[in-house]
Amino acid sequence: MPFLEINDLEKVYKDFTLSASLSVEEGEMLCIIGPSGSGKSTLLSLIAGLESPDGGTIVLDGTDITSKRIQERGIGMVFQDFTLFPSMNVQKNIEFGMKAPKGERKKTTEALLSLVGLEGYGKRSVTSLSGGEAQRVQLARALAAEPRVLLLDEPLSALDAPLRKSIRSAIRAIHDTLGITMLYVTHDREEAFAISDSILIMNGGKCVAKGSAEELYRHPKDLFTAFFTGEGTAIPATLVYEGMDGMLFFRPEDAILSEEPVDPEMYPVHIVLGGAEILSAEFTGSGYMLGIDYQGYPLLVHSATKPRRRTVSVMILRESALNIS
Amino acid sequence: MKKGRGTAYYTLGALPGIAILLVLFIIPLAFNFSYAFSDGGRAFEEVFTDPYTYRLLLFTLEESLLSAIISVLAALPIAAFFARYSFPGRRAVLTLSGLAFTIPTILVVLGFVIWYGNNGFLNALLMRITGRDYSLLSILYSFKAIILAHVYLNFPIAFLLIANAWTELPDTPEKAAYTLGAGRLRTFAKVTLPRLLPSVLSAFILIFLFCFSSFSIILVLGGSPAYSTLETEIYRRVHTSVDREGAAALSLFAFAVTGAMLILTSRGRKASKASRHSRELVKAKGRSLLAAAILMLLVLLFILPPMLSIVYRAFFTKAGDFTLRAWEDIAKGSTGLMSTALNGIINSFLIALSSSLAAVGIGSRSAAGSAKRNSVVLPVLSSMPMATGSVTLGLGFSLLAVTLGSSSLLLSYLLVWAAHLTIVLPFAVRTITPGAKAIPDSLSLSAYTLGISEGRTWRKVESPLLAPYRRRAFAFAFALSLGEVNATLTLSEGHVSTLPVLIYRMIGSYNYQGAAALGTLLLAEALIIFAIGEGGRRNAVS
Repeated sequence: MPFLEINDLEKVYKDFTLSASLSVEEGEMLCIIGPSGSGKSTLLSLIAGLESPDGGTIVLDGTDITSKRIQERGIGMVFQDFTLFPSMNVQKNIEFGMKAPKGERKKTTEALLSLVGLEGYGKRSVTSLSGGEAQRVQLARALAAEPRVLLLDEPLSALDAPLRKSIRSAIRAIHDTLGITMLYVTHDREEAFAISDSILIMNGGKCVAKGSAEELYRHPKDLFTAFFTGEGTAIPATLVYEGMDGMLFFRPEDAILSEEPVDPEMYPVHIVLGGAEILSAEFTGSGYMLGIDYQGYPLLVHSATKPRRRTVSVMILRESALNIS
Repeated sequence: MKKGRGTAYYTLGALPGIAILLVLFIIPLAFNFSYAFSDGGRAFEEVFTDPYTYRLLLFTLEESLLSAIISVLAALPIAAFFARYSFPGRRAVLTLSGLAFTIPTILVVLGFVIWYGNNGFLNALLMRITGRDYSLLSILYSFKAIILAHVYLNFPIAFLLIANAWTELPDTPEKAAYTLGAGRLRTFAKVTLPRLLPSVLSAFILIFLFCFSSFSIILVLGGSPAYSTLETEIYRRVHTSVDREGAAALSLFAFAVTGAMLILTSRGRKASKASRHSRELVKAKGRSLLAAAILMLLVLLFILPPMLSIVYRAFFTKAGDFTLRAWEDIAKGSTGLMSTALNGIINSFLIALSSSLAAVGIGSRSAAGSAKRNSVVLPVLSSMPMATGSVTLGLGFSLLAVTLGSSSLLLSYLLVWAAHLTIVLPFAVRTITPGAKAIPDSLSLSAYTLGISEGRTWRKVESPLLAPYRRRAFAFAFALSLGEVNATLTLSEGHVSTLPVLIYRMIGSYNYQGAAALGTLLLAEALIIFAIGEGGRRNAVS
């Protein structure tokens, strides 16, 4: 039985309805991604009890916690904005919800501070902290309450890119050290790829797909997932296979470019799109991202070198072109 | 703010405040109603059909409109200057303008009598300069005295509100307009003014409402029944003609008018969000520095003399000889009004202290509850006593006393205290509510997710954040109670003397020396309270 089980959870707003089912294993690091307004944060709020659902159940380790008070759920949360208590210093903040007995509090605080990489910060006032430090303290404070599940609601989105990278690996390291179950909401797909065991994709208040980063990237089951997990091209399948429904989807790196005319007969395992015209070339560092027009359809192709000719042929391995709709 | 979980605790906490507001507000109003209709509704009908009622209303509207217009118009150019230049003394002048919120009106009355009076210091000064032996300026006891006193009290308020709002307006739109080729005048008319208008309007409305319920200024500085407002007429009916029914009926009429005005004016008043980028001030030098000096001097010359003359008069006779007679009278508790002076000092302090402490205690829970529930009831409820006006409240409480038929001193004190609390509590709630609203939801929620109860979250997390607001509210409430004349005078009928009431009486009996001594004490208390409040304000802003 999964550790956290969410069954047909529903929350109805005037112009938005969330309805979600999902299950999370104990110790799993699940990242929830999706466009803004897809219901990621609402889902977390419902799990934490900040809002009450209109239907469905939340079961944690066999116990139904759907109608329990926030305080009694054993679910911790790290918020996106600054939620440290200004009336207390760093240490008092961390001790505020601490489960450890009185005598061990100081030691526990120090251990937690070193876990988040802020040794010696105990006496600092929370208003003197930088954004990154504040989020680390929030994390330590949430962990001090020994939650059974920790929810993180876009904890890094207010920070700049280099800081995000270093803190996200710290979060992953903490997860691995403590083995705590985490649900991590982000709108940054790269962040989700980097730290998750598995990823849940949400759209329009629904859970669209769940799987490992690799699965979702390589074998998306639908176009939304395909495009949300990375760049790619979708062309009508009939362009290649007569009578086939849906679209063919491929990643830019799965296409090969040929500047010489290609005889399709010679490449039976490839789809060959001849007479394509290069419209744009963007330098990406590792090569060029080419915008190509094929019979009025835009293609996105990655190439290691910058092509000299305007008219080219695009070849895609038949097995890496996915037929999805 | 979403109506989340755990609001029950806050709602419960808000109830005492709501209950007290309701009871303290409804009791006097109910007595007003019962007296107004006691003779079969004749008094009530009379008031609504009597042309004199409408003449009163017209005059009240006239003096408040005129006062508000002049205050705002005088404040605008100076505010414009303060929003453009930085110069030494700028902050000090802005801070001191805040004093206008704290200075009891009775001090303005007293200061005006001593400074602008026919035998006042200003005339004495002019006589000495010009060498004539008659007073040159006749200001007091006229319509212009009323307007001048209102402007004196409210011009700093208009200036402070407009200058602060103007300084907070980022000037990038103006710069953009300049780059588009618009001139200064066009930019001001089309870009600056529309953005500034809400602040100007809200200052105007505030001053208008304040002057509408003005009492001691009208009574003393107007000096003639020809200059009667609704409030002063209610008072006259109670005390001069002992027409309680007529007074009650008129107070209901006033309540209807002010209530309607509050509803009308609260619509347009939307607090604009303070932006992060305020404008860069230009350092004043050369001519602009000179202009700054002259402006500040003019403002100070207008503001300071009446107040300083109170302090001077407390120690010097009219002839200019140093004397401590008034102080000795106070200390000895000698004859006449002075016999109750010491009593009045203690009364004022204790009533102000206890009513403002109670108001802050009850008010912060009410404010928190109101913010949590995003309630509309409490703001309306807390503006009701403002709509009734303090004279009406005082009248209501005194009618209660008459009905109870008891003349015990304790009851008088209790009623005065209740009246003060009713007047002060709404302001306390209103001062603290923005602070409670500024506490982000996520802060409290994050405490709950740590397993902390609502009660502990309130005590340890939310309440400390309100401390600077409470301090401001306390100062505001204390100052309000300290300066309260209208209700106390209407209600106590000589039983309970507070400082401002004593000063009012002493002005009436031409004991300026004694009034000035007590006024100096009142001024000192107001200044201390102002300093306390300013400390709170500084913290509240950050």
